[in-house]
Amino acid sequence: MSTRPRFEPAIADQPADFASIMAHVPMLTSRFFDLYAEFWQRGVVAVELKEMTRIRNARITDCGY
Amino acid sequence: MRLSWITSAEGTAGATPLEQVLGQCPELLTRYRAFYKAIWEEGLVSRRVLELCRLRIAAIHGCDQEWSVRDACVELNDAELQALETGDRSAFGVEEQAALILAEQIPYQHHQVTDQQTTEAGHQLSTPGAVALLTALAFFDVTCRLKLTLDVAALPAQLAEPPLNRGALA
Repeated sequence: MSTRPRFEPAIADQPADFASIMAHVPMLTSRFFDLYAEFWQRGVVAVELKEMTRIRNARITDCGY
Repeated sequence: MRLSWITSAEGTAGATPLEQVLGQCPELLTRYRAFYKAIWEEGLVSRRVLELCRLRIAAIHGCDQEWSVRDACVELNDAELQALETGDRSAFGVEEQAALILAEQIPYQHHQVTDQQTTEAGHQLSTPGAVALLTALAFFDVTCRLKLTLDVAALPAQLAEPPLNRGALA
């Protein structure tokens, strides 16, 4: 697995992180964050439970990001 | 076996199986549909390549719910469909094969994707195109997992509109 971002950021002077690389596809990114925000802002599942499963999922998939 | 604990939202008669279940969270459904549709609307990756990759990932997952949905604007012959089922990439062009290799790695071998592969994808598609392709592959994978976990029904569909308007949600 790569240990460095594989694409240059789309935003000048920004580090190559998830948001700045996804900015290469602005419409997709905008709608992705709309969707992702929905997970956290609404619903009957507690935020703490969502965060616990998010971190567990990151560990299982070995996603250090 | 269908999961009996997931019920369809009220007022969703006639909607696709996944829409009926996600209709329990209407705003989530709206945003999911808008995001998924954007993969096609960005237009950075050819519709044929998206279809090949979507079906290949469905085949890897054994996801009949996704496999049974087809983009009517992409004509695939029986040999190509069989090749997608079995993983025979020789039926496809060089750039299609490169995309299919990435598609095959996303479900269970994403750590094996190499710097060289992503660099080549950037050269073939441009950086925005490569980012769009990888995002699409990740969400084809997610959608298969979601459909399998929700155990929605598999309904064959040929979709001429942007397929994710209803297609990916079928």
